[in-house]
Amino acid sequence: MTEGASSKRDQTLVGVGVIAVALGLGYGAMDIPSDAGYAGIGPNFLPWFVSCALLLCGGFLVYEARSGGFRDMEDVGDEKPYWPGFVWMSTGLLVNAALITTIGFIFSCALCFVLAARGLRNAQGGSNAGLRTWGTDTVVGLTIAAPVYWMFTKFLAISLPGLTQSGWL
Amino acid sequence: MDIWNQLLQGFATAGTPVNLMWAFVGCALGTAVGVLPGIGPATAVAMLLPITAKVDATASMIFFAGIYYGAMYGGSTTSILLNTPGETASMVTAMEGNKMAKSGRAGAALASSAIGSFFAGTIATIMVTLFAPIVAEFAVKLGPPEYFCLMLLAFTTVSAVLGQSTVRGLTALFVGLAAGLIGMDQITGQARYAGNVPELLDGVEIVLVAVGLFAVAEALHAVLFEGKTVESENTMSRVSMTREDWRRSIPAWIRGTAIGAPFGCIPAGGTEIPTFLSYATEKKLAKGANLAEFGTKGAIEGVAGPEAANNATVTAALIPLLTLGIPVSNTTAILLGAFQNYGIQPGPQLFTSSSALVWALIASLYIGNVMLLVLNLPLVGLWVKLLKVPKPQLYAGILIFATVGAYGMRQSAFDLFLLYGIGVLGLVMRRFCFPTAPVVVGMILGPLAEAQLRNAISIGEGSPLIFLQRPMSLTLLIIVVAVLLAPRIIKQFSRRSIEDIG
Repeated sequence: MTEGASSKRDQTLVGVGVIAVALGLGYGAMDIPSDAGYAGIGPNFLPWFVSCALLLCGGFLVYEARSGGFRDMEDVGDEKPYWPGFVWMSTGLLVNAALITTIGFIFSCALCFVLAARGLRNAQGGSNAGLRTWGTDTVVGLTIAAPVYWMFTKFLAISLPGLTQSGWL
Repeated sequence: MDIWNQLLQGFATAGTPVNLMWAFVGCALGTAVGVLPGIGPATAVAMLLPITAKVDATASMIFFAGIYYGAMYGGSTTSILLNTPGETASMVTAMEGNKMAKSGRAGAALASSAIGSFFAGTIATIMVTLFAPIVAEFAVKLGPPEYFCLMLLAFTTVSAVLGQSTVRGLTALFVGLAAGLIGMDQITGQARYAGNVPELLDGVEIVLVAVGLFAVAEALHAVLFEGKTVESENTMSRVSMTREDWRRSIPAWIRGTAIGAPFGCIPAGGTEIPTFLSYATEKKLAKGANLAEFGTKGAIEGVAGPEAANNATVTAALIPLLTLGIPVSNTTAILLGAFQNYGIQPGPQLFTSSSALVWALIASLYIGNVMLLVLNLPLVGLWVKLLKVPKPQLYAGILIFATVGAYGMRQSAFDLFLLYGIGVLGLVMRRFCFPTAPVVVGMILGPLAEAQLRNAISIGEGSPLIFLQRPMSLTLLIIVVAVLLAPRIIKQFSRRSIEDIG
């Protein structure tokens, strides 16, 4: 039931990841003072509790993964992941985060749109590598980003970064 | 007739042109996000949370409620017309709705689901009107120990009852609680897990977590796994119901509402159980030719009942949210976040301290239901066009809105990197079937629960036995234990009823 979609190894990794988070939380909790005041428990109680609980959950997940896989999994299908598309989209999102304050919301978001749409187009396959689809995506990206920017900055007065101070670009 | 006066006052507030406009835009937007695959009401509300900085509380709550409501109407359109079931809420509708659409009765299915939603939504809103003030009056008497136990109950139901695996649900819950820990401790002001990053001292914004887990993760999932998936669309037919359709739908709507509404009131989490129960009931009650339509040509009762149950549950879920401040789903958790942005803490005091807001919100539910009926019956053809938006543009466009939500909240580019990280986490969770609702509920409710826990133990002069000494909190603790054991029994039961259906 769990074959194909997510292998035993991947599931074990997820369990180990949860354990790592738990240990990280525990490590961080050591720095939190325990001064409880009138309450019997201080600010470090919940961090320790969550850390221990996650450790237990992680351990149990690893156990499940090693003994026949996670229980009661939904059928997630067995398509192969398309990593190049993932890289396109990730690049789009990270470039957006890196550039938004320098080139402004509109251009940064349009760039993110173009890169993400490229990843999705490639994932669908077929021949769409031409200059035309790049052009279409750029235009569509700009026509979504610009009105959104104006709507939020002009009507709702939410500040989003612009290239200029005018509030229009 | 105190309720009556306050409700009228609410209508007066909700009926101003500006607020009507917000309600209308909310309903339209909600229907759109319900129809569009890849984006649900929780995401939409989360992305728009930054508006809470500028728009006044009443208007934005009316707006968000419209989205919350509208998405339920829109979701059924997608599940009837597309062959992929949308969100869990409309999964059951999809089973019969799809079959009806395939045999050329898409219009009747759409009509029955829209009118059923209206009927159930209105009845449930009446319930909210009548019962919420009573519950609130009762809830004033609850102290920190009882509150903590109630929250414990919400945590338990959302993580152990929803989803398939208790251990994955609990893992998700504790990840959410951990995220809620980041930042300043509510009681002592002690910084926790902030490192030396000033952005983290304020805590992690709920917008980031919700938008990352839902929108970004959804887009990443689409690009990784769904590139080759081709959806087939059913053909539309005229949206109308025959006399026979009415005769079969009306009892199903009533039964669906009766099943759904109580489920919303208790923190039993989610619409899965009531919709399935309604479906099983309808199938059991069907006879002869009608029964033969189940699973073959598509039976209209199988659309009408679950759709009514769904809307009744969703509406009634506002009772625990407004009177106790306890959310039981993703969207209600984010609505709670919206209240918090205004410095309003939903809870029993809400009905006295912000009574104008609450009653305007309740009045807007009545108004919204009528608007949605109009939006979804005559205008359904318009929404169906949204299904034609090509996927690359759809998901890439969602990312632009995700940026608005994430950046608009705090104006920090750091948040956008964090958003990506949370998106990747959401992708992993989705791939390995971890539920997301416990993360959001845990994160929002976690700090509140911690404060209640510490206050409760202070009351007990440092002794945790306080939880066992007060009858209400003891009862609640017993319920928590029962809830932990009950899912196994319910699962057995629903599995059997699903087998009966199959």
